[in-house]
Amino acid sequence: MNTPADEGNDNLRYAEYVLGVLDADARAAVAQEVQTTDEAAAAVALWQRRLMPLSEQIAGVAPAPYVWARIRDDLQLDAPAPAAPRTESKGLWNNLALWHWLGIGATAVAVALLAVVVTPHRDNVPATAETAPPKAPAGYMVSTIQQDSGVTGWTATMDLDRARMIVVPAAPSALPSGKAPELWLIPAGGKPISVAMIKRDAPTTIALEPSLLAKLGPTAALAVSVEPVGGSPTGQPTGAVIAKGAISGSPETHDHVVRVAALNVAAIRKSV
Amino acid sequence: MSVTSPAEREELNRLLIQTGRNDQKAFAELYKRTSSKLFGVCLRMLRDRSEAEEVLQETYTTVWRRAAGFDAAKASAITWLITLSRNKAIDRLRQHREELVDDPSKLEQAIDDQPTPAVDAETSQEYGRLQKCLDALEPQQRDSVREAFFTGATYNELATRSKVPLGTMKSWIRRSLMQLRVCLEQ
Repeated sequence: MNTPADEGNDNLRYAEYVLGVLDADARAAVAQEVQTTDEAAAAVALWQRRLMPLSEQIAGVAPAPYVWARIRDDLQLDAPAPAAPRTESKGLWNNLALWHWLGIGATAVAVALLAVVVTPHRDNVPATAETAPPKAPAGYMVSTIQQDSGVTGWTATMDLDRARMIVVPAAPSALPSGKAPELWLIPAGGKPISVAMIKRDAPTTIALEPSLLAKLGPTAALAVSVEPVGGSPTGQPTGAVIAKGAISGSPETHDHVVRVAALNVAAIRKSV
Repeated sequence: MSVTSPAEREELNRLLIQTGRNDQKAFAELYKRTSSKLFGVCLRMLRDRSEAEEVLQETYTTVWRRAAGFDAAKASAITWLITLSRNKAIDRLRQHREELVDDPSKLEQAIDDQPTPAVDAETSQEYGRLQKCLDALEPQQRDSVREAFFTGATYNELATRSKVPLGTMKSWIRRSLMQLRVCLEQ
């Protein structure tokens, strides 16, 4: 085996570093050495090979789905390519025409389609289905975000299980140049909380932070205001509120929502 | 899914290399196959779900940014990933070491908590060799090494938990490490 020549006290320090027993200062010193000298890096790598098999004793625990959503968000993965749309994964979730059609129709349709069509699509969420304990049926919430005239501006569907929301414009709204729509969550009796900038002419998928997820419910509302492209500079809406809508469908009433939605789907299919 | 079979290890190496080439699909697949393991590692050390989630998130954002530096000749992908998550979890522990030491209930909890038995039906050859060498240590010393590895505790914390002087704990661990090195090289 390839053993560094010096297996004295220094080498023991590398072992202690890998084992994890050094205090913050001693740890930082070794980490620094690993960065700067090949010898230290090699000694540490050797101890990692020796000790890391112990981690095979640690049972895996599936992390919550929103962790992956946050990672993607952090790294801005899946940001739609500016020119060429994604070609792979042409599932219904990514089908713009369908979402437009949905946006024009009743919100409940979105719930039904989500439940019926999107649920089997696991490709976007590398969850851990094999190891996760059985879960209660996923919950969805929906909101039709309407203009004062009663015309639907956007449809929002919240997938609680996967901690994400998809916001679909019913029809592209005209905004002054340099302005963009911003979506807000308004808890009952609370101040608006910024959710995300949304697109005026294409669906926007948003990863929901746990703090936001917790505030979704029938007593909360969604609203869209006109803001500078980078978002409201104050953290509160600064421009006109162009559309708003109540949130409906809670995890408890999921079955009911889906049943109603399925009827609506049937009705709309007949009329199309 | 086992992360220890040679075929699976090869696949993880391939996925990490692809991730280093900015392949988002490979990255998603890598996360799918390894996140449970890494989350288990973080949870075991941090003993707090939301903190473990934060460290897991930091780990994978670092994976994405540093994957290009991964060299399969130096370490397997799974070792690289577990090392990264352990380092981040230990750094986090050191940040609020005082709180933990000041909270006796957490220390009690830590003493009672035995490492979970292996869930992978199939463990690696390397694991088998290491286990044999660990079995050759004095029981108290073996327990201290395992406790150190699984919880990321400092010498001071380990000494407090085992109610032995700091010097005793240091010599237990150091002697164990030297014995392990000799044993593993045979």
